[in-house]
Amino acid sequence: MIKLYGAIALIAILGGVGYGAKYYYDTTQNTIAQLRDNNAKLEVAVDTAQNSVETLQGDMAKLATLNKGLQQDLQKAEAYGDELRSKLSKLDLVVEALKNSKSLEGKMNGTTAKLWRDFMGDTGGNSERPLPNWLLESPNGAGSESSNQSGKGADTDSSTTEATPTE
Amino acid sequence: MEKVQIPTVAQPKPLQLNDTRVFVVNKDNYEEFVKEFTEAYGELAFVALSMKDYQNLALNIADIKRYLEQQKEIIIYYEKAVTETPKEKEDD
Repeated sequence: MIKLYGAIALIAILGGVGYGAKYYYDTTQNTIAQLRDNNAKLEVAVDTAQNSVETLQGDMAKLATLNKGLQQDLQKAEAYGDELRSKLSKLDLVVEALKNSKSLEGKMNGTTAKLWRDFMGDTGGNSERPLPNWLLESPNGAGSESSNQSGKGADTDSSTTEATPTE
Repeated sequence: MEKVQIPTVAQPKPLQLNDTRVFVVNKDNYEEFVKEFTEAYGELAFVALSMKDYQNLALNIADIKRYLEQQKEIIIYYEKAVTETPKEKEDD
């Protein structure tokens, strides 16, 4: 009888140990699976973060280059006004007008015609539009250093307000 | 990182400007100006500007030109910023 109780107790102990081992095994496997899953997720997260950093670095480098170019272009745009202010500060237009009005008139009209064509060219229009006849016939008009010499005479009388259509 | 795609838009219609004519008149050529102007335009009616005001007008237009060019450059900057791919990425 004692042997029977001993055998039952031994089986119970072995069963308990077996169950414990099984429980431990299952829990460990679950933990390993969870950790593997988390590791995969972390690898994806690290890759995404790395790509983001590289993208940001690329964008920053590109923007720095663009910004440098922009500053230079913005500075270039100041040139016309600076040049005009410099010219006007050296000239006394009243004296010039009294001395040689036709010459001054030609320079003014030539410069103005060039300015309008610059505006049209800068906005994608036709900057090569021919100069009007009255300007070509004017002294220092079409021939002045600041005027546009590319075009031949055209009938763009200043008394009309019709603009030459662009292509 | 997903980048927001911003489409660029078409530029506005180019400027179509008319030629303008200036007459420089002083006391010596006034009579000649009146004669030529009347022959050319029919009536003697004109706008007169002092030399100082002409200078101011020229400087004002120069400043508008400066603003227009700078505005254009800034637009080009933004267009490049949203459209061009960084060189490093192209090499990948």
